[in-house]
Amino acid sequence: MEPAVAIEDVSHRYGDVDALRSVSLTVPAGEIVGLIGPNGAGKTTLVRIMCGVIKPMTGAVTVFGHEPRDLDPGAIGLLPQAFSPPGRLTGRELIQYYRDLSGASRSVDDVLAAVGMTAADDRWYERLSGGQQRRLCVGSAIVNDPKLVVLDEPTTGIDPAGRQRIWSLLKQLRDDGHTIVVTTHDMAEAAALSDRVALLAGGALVAVDHPDALIDRHGGTARVRIEPAEPLAPEVIDDLAVDVSSHNGTYELVGLEPYQLADVIGTLATAGVSFRRITWQEPTLEDVYHELAGNSK
Amino acid sequence: MIHHPALIAEARTAWRTFVRRRTAVVFTFVFPLLLVVIFGALVTTDPGDGGLFTEPTVYYVPGYLAVVVMFTPLSRIGAEVIRHRDANRFEQLSTTPLSRADWLLAHTLVNIVLVGFACAIVLGVLWVGTGVAVRPSLGLVLFIAVGVTMFCGIGACLGRVASTQDGVIAAANTLAIPMLLLAETFVPPRMLPAWFQPFVDVMPLTPFSRGVRTVVEGGAGWGADLLLLAVLALVFLVIGAHLLPRVD
Repeated sequence: MEPAVAIEDVSHRYGDVDALRSVSLTVPAGEIVGLIGPNGAGKTTLVRIMCGVIKPMTGAVTVFGHEPRDLDPGAIGLLPQAFSPPGRLTGRELIQYYRDLSGASRSVDDVLAAVGMTAADDRWYERLSGGQQRRLCVGSAIVNDPKLVVLDEPTTGIDPAGRQRIWSLLKQLRDDGHTIVVTTHDMAEAAALSDRVALLAGGALVAVDHPDALIDRHGGTARVRIEPAEPLAPEVIDDLAVDVSSHNGTYELVGLEPYQLADVIGTLATAGVSFRRITWQEPTLEDVYHELAGNSK
Repeated sequence: MIHHPALIAEARTAWRTFVRRRTAVVFTFVFPLLLVVIFGALVTTDPGDGGLFTEPTVYYVPGYLAVVVMFTPLSRIGAEVIRHRDANRFEQLSTTPLSRADWLLAHTLVNIVLVGFACAIVLGVLWVGTGVAVRPSLGLVLFIAVGVTMFCGIGACLGRVASTQDGVIAAANTLAIPMLLLAETFVPPRMLPAWFQPFVDVMPLTPFSRGVRTVVEGGAGWGADLLLLAVLALVFLVIGAHLLPRVD
């Protein structure tokens, strides 16, 4: 099956700064791919190249088999980072504007309902909350019913309920056969939303895979966090017989298997240690991020 | 390639967003009116006396019209380019059928209508305040429309060069104020040194002033000025559309 996006050995520079260095990435059709990475990692540059907004200095990009700029303009729906639409327009007028621009067949009511903005459709954009504004912006990117939807930090400033609504919308679009590329700084969002995650750091593609696969490979082991009522005595730490680090009165135990948790609690009880909280934490995508990109700029 | 439905959608939205900004609407029309009231009615002219503002009132009609034909598109288009760039709107528009030429044409159409209204008000106030009646004519409409088109193109260039809205306004003033005074508008060429005349001849506003003066004085032979203005308008429109940015 032809990939939705094929990026081959793409590099791009701004002056002396390498924005992208030999990036190759394939986005299969019908998937949600999350682009993560630190600020300045090259996510927005990659998005712009993918959409044909800028041309890469070297390398090749095809979207559904064509160069992005040769595509039917309605094939891509883009929500740029830090985007804001023209002011003094109601939500309905804004979606109508983008619908008329692209000659789209999708109805305004349908788009407003999809982003949960039907009730606020008669208010001016600038009088909406930040989350409502962002949801309308997402609506502007999908009104042309594009095959490829590219959203650069679409949930910035959206409350949890609004974020969930956007996630549901994007998953629905994916299930309907659309291909979606999303950049985000929210690792929980990337893990919850993405079929695959691509991690950029310093302009290079560091890793790409299913979130669980990345966590298995790079997330490290589970951790136990203990918040004792009093600092642990050195001999108690020795008795725990695992790697222990402490920070602000919280102790982190690394490399434990779940069955060892009972031993830890037993050791603490034997030593007469009372604790306010003990938590078990599985590795997450955030651990992957820190492991692979934590020190990059 | 021009994409008409997208162009119409952009023009409609640009018009809507303008007319809903009350302060922008008020100042767009008040600024030229102030000028007409000051120089057309308050400052007493004495034809034949040889100083500034001593020509017959009708002589200054191109200058009054130039205030709106030149300043409004220069500042509005320039500022709109900055607003679009800062809000990453051009980036999103680049994935729609709306080309950069479409965008500039759409905003030019809005400015032609807007400046057309402003010119009508200016001429109305001139008539009420000074008794000078300028009859609407095809020539006058053409000069206004083509003049606005040219300054929209130049405004787009300024929007590309300037980095902020303040920068656009400063650049527009730097460009427009000398022309407003010297391009055969308010200062007759005989009051300027001979060596300066070539500069007057190459000012983009000059064919507008000469042509409009010929039209309002009922003369013939304004076709050459209109043709020159149209060529300049086309050149600046093409350059302006080409310079519109895709990203910040």
